[in-house]
Amino acid sequence: MKARAGVLPGLGLALGAAMVAATAIGSVEVPVSATLAILGKCLGFPTGPVDQKWEAIVVLIRLPRVLGAALIGAALATAGAVLQSLLRNPMADPGLLGVSSGAGFGAVLSIGLGLASQSLWFTPLFAVAGALTASAVIVGLSLRKGQMPVFTLILAGLAVSTFFGAGTSLVLSLVSHDNVAQFLFWAMGTLANTRWDTLGLAAAPVALGMTGLLLFGRDLNVLALGEAQARSLGVDVPGTRLTLMVLVSVTTAGAVCTSGPVGFVGLMVPPMLRLVLGPDNRMLLPASALGGAVFLVVCDLISRVVSGPLEVNVGIVTSLLGAPYFLFLLVRASREKAA
Amino acid sequence: MKALLSARNLGCTLGRKSVLTGIDFSVHPGEVVGLIGPNGSGKSTLLGCLNATKESTGTVTLGERPLAGLSPRQVALLVALMHQETAVPFPFTAREVVALGRHPHRGRWSPETAEDRRQVEATLTLTQTLGLAGQSVTRMSGGERQRVLFAQALAQNPSVLLLDEPTSNLDLSFQESIFGTLKQWVGREKAALVAIHDLRLAARHCHRLILLSQGRILAEGRPEDVLTPDHLSAAYGVDVRVYQNPVTGLVDYQFRQRGDEPTVHVHVVGGGGSAADVLRLLGEGRYRVTAGVLAPGDTDLQVASVYGMPVVTCPPFSAIPPAAFEANRELADRADLTIVSNLAIGPLNQSNLESVLGARNLVVIEDDPPEVRDFTGGEGLALYRRLAARATVLKGAQLAGWLEEWRGLSADR
Repeated sequence: MKARAGVLPGLGLALGAAMVAATAIGSVEVPVSATLAILGKCLGFPTGPVDQKWEAIVVLIRLPRVLGAALIGAALATAGAVLQSLLRNPMADPGLLGVSSGAGFGAVLSIGLGLASQSLWFTPLFAVAGALTASAVIVGLSLRKGQMPVFTLILAGLAVSTFFGAGTSLVLSLVSHDNVAQFLFWAMGTLANTRWDTLGLAAAPVALGMTGLLLFGRDLNVLALGEAQARSLGVDVPGTRLTLMVLVSVTTAGAVCTSGPVGFVGLMVPPMLRLVLGPDNRMLLPASALGGAVFLVVCDLISRVVSGPLEVNVGIVTSLLGAPYFLFLLVRASREKAA
Repeated sequence: MKALLSARNLGCTLGRKSVLTGIDFSVHPGEVVGLIGPNGSGKSTLLGCLNATKESTGTVTLGERPLAGLSPRQVALLVALMHQETAVPFPFTAREVVALGRHPHRGRWSPETAEDRRQVEATLTLTQTLGLAGQSVTRMSGGERQRVLFAQALAQNPSVLLLDEPTSNLDLSFQESIFGTLKQWVGREKAALVAIHDLRLAARHCHRLILLSQGRILAEGRPEDVLTPDHLSAAYGVDVRVYQNPVTGLVDYQFRQRGDEPTVHVHVVGGGGSAADVLRLLGEGRYRVTAGVLAPGDTDLQVASVYGMPVVTCPPFSAIPPAAFEANRELADRADLTIVSNLAIGPLNQSNLESVLGARNLVVIEDDPPEVRDFTGGEGLALYRRLAARATVLKGAQLAGWLEEWRGLSADR
């Protein structure tokens, strides 16, 4: 019990450390002391004089990126944790279910239609619409008795994400012959383009969605017992499920319209934390948010430093880590079924 | 007394199939009501209609309030339904699962109160699940999980508890204790409606029974009035014998699949409980069985009457009257097979042996040497020896095998 109580503060400390490290490390090394001084200055603390060049690097380039990584990691991990309880399947994840692909398609469509150049807000709006469509298709098609069997989930998710992925490619190939490279990150998530303005776009839906989701911890615990049980315990199952799917879609869409689809965060972080904390969502959801933030900040750092001046998309790093883990889960699930 | 729950003209249709029609009943404070009936008779559906998790027509009233006007949470404060299916995909501890029973009592913003915690601990104690409290429900046996879900339903503290086969995964001792706990919980103010397959458990523990058959109430009332051969035969489509178990004093049942009237006639001569095993063996098989001459109070006679076997009787502790002797002899003469049990031979019943001398096929069960069973001073023993000389002599345990072989042989002929 005591070990559990220490998890949240521990994750908070880890997040702080990871963010400072990720801000300090890069192609230009900024000493940790200078990084802290610059961060302190941003927060309004009185600090000594700071190097102008370092300040520009930290404030204009690295800080939005690190904050973006934390925000998106938190969003995707929380969405994953919620989907897992909601669909009663520990392998649910917004990426795997195609919710991220739907959001990505919506975002790309807003660019393709030229709406994004009129107002930046069209992109998150379309992303939310895309995510909601994907969620509706998935849930409508494959939810049986309040539960989604593993293989239905994977197949339906595959179909939906392939469909929306193809839509994304179609839009991109129709509109941007000359600057395709700029849009390639919609296919494989990256944080390289995160600036303060795009971060602002993500922050609103993610903050809104995540705050909503964190309030449903106990309802999710009841839903995890099964639809019939939840109804007997007084949960309005269809209404709650709809609310949660909308919140998950909004949260995911906010993350995706900044970074493109970054896979496996929701699949890896919550199950690992569940091993330590148990399945109680009142603890698991905030812990997943912090854990997801730490995970993505670290993955992004790896993606920046691993190959020197060149950069690997963070989506590649998370997939390289996540796909084997996913296979492990799948093998374990089928063994348990056989046993 | 006001009903805690009542249904009026309740009906339910799933797809195009009408599952329940014209259901009328009430449950009153202090009652444990059993809901019995064959598979598919609508028991689980009825329970679902009563907490609005299944759609129904007609009216259900909880206390004074119509079910239709209540929100899911309001319903959950009045009725809890414990389900048959018990799988939980995440490793919640038993205490966490039981604490979720308090869910309808708490608002979204209200923290767990001391009352919530007290209820959870009290329920864990009451249901003897305190020892499981820290364990993960995914690692429990089906029976342990069922007990935890029972505790959860009690922690929900409704006025009416609906239970769907609460004992299906439980061993004998917990089947008994779950009903004990339930009655204790029900007390005077609450009530329970229990769907249950085991008629013996239902008869023993329920104040009242409702027998469902094909979506209708076939009978309702005290267990002894509902569990009659006619009702049970109509509902379950089998022949049922109802009798009072002489050891427990409780109503018990003997089921038999319906089939053609058996043609092979076996007559059994016994007494003093010596033929009980033989009669039971024949009763479970496909035989037309008669017995004689038996006196009231004899276990053999009780067994025979449970199976509905015709028996030649005589007054207790008296010599067999000539009419009974003749009737017995006639049955033995006509039977395809006559079996004499490992009976004690006394002056009053030795004419039983005489009456079977003309039997076509004779089997004598000899578990104990006849010398120790003879209480006539030699006369009965001599008669027994005459009988044994022209009979197949078997141990009781060999009879089942011998009968199978004999039936095979006589079928060949």
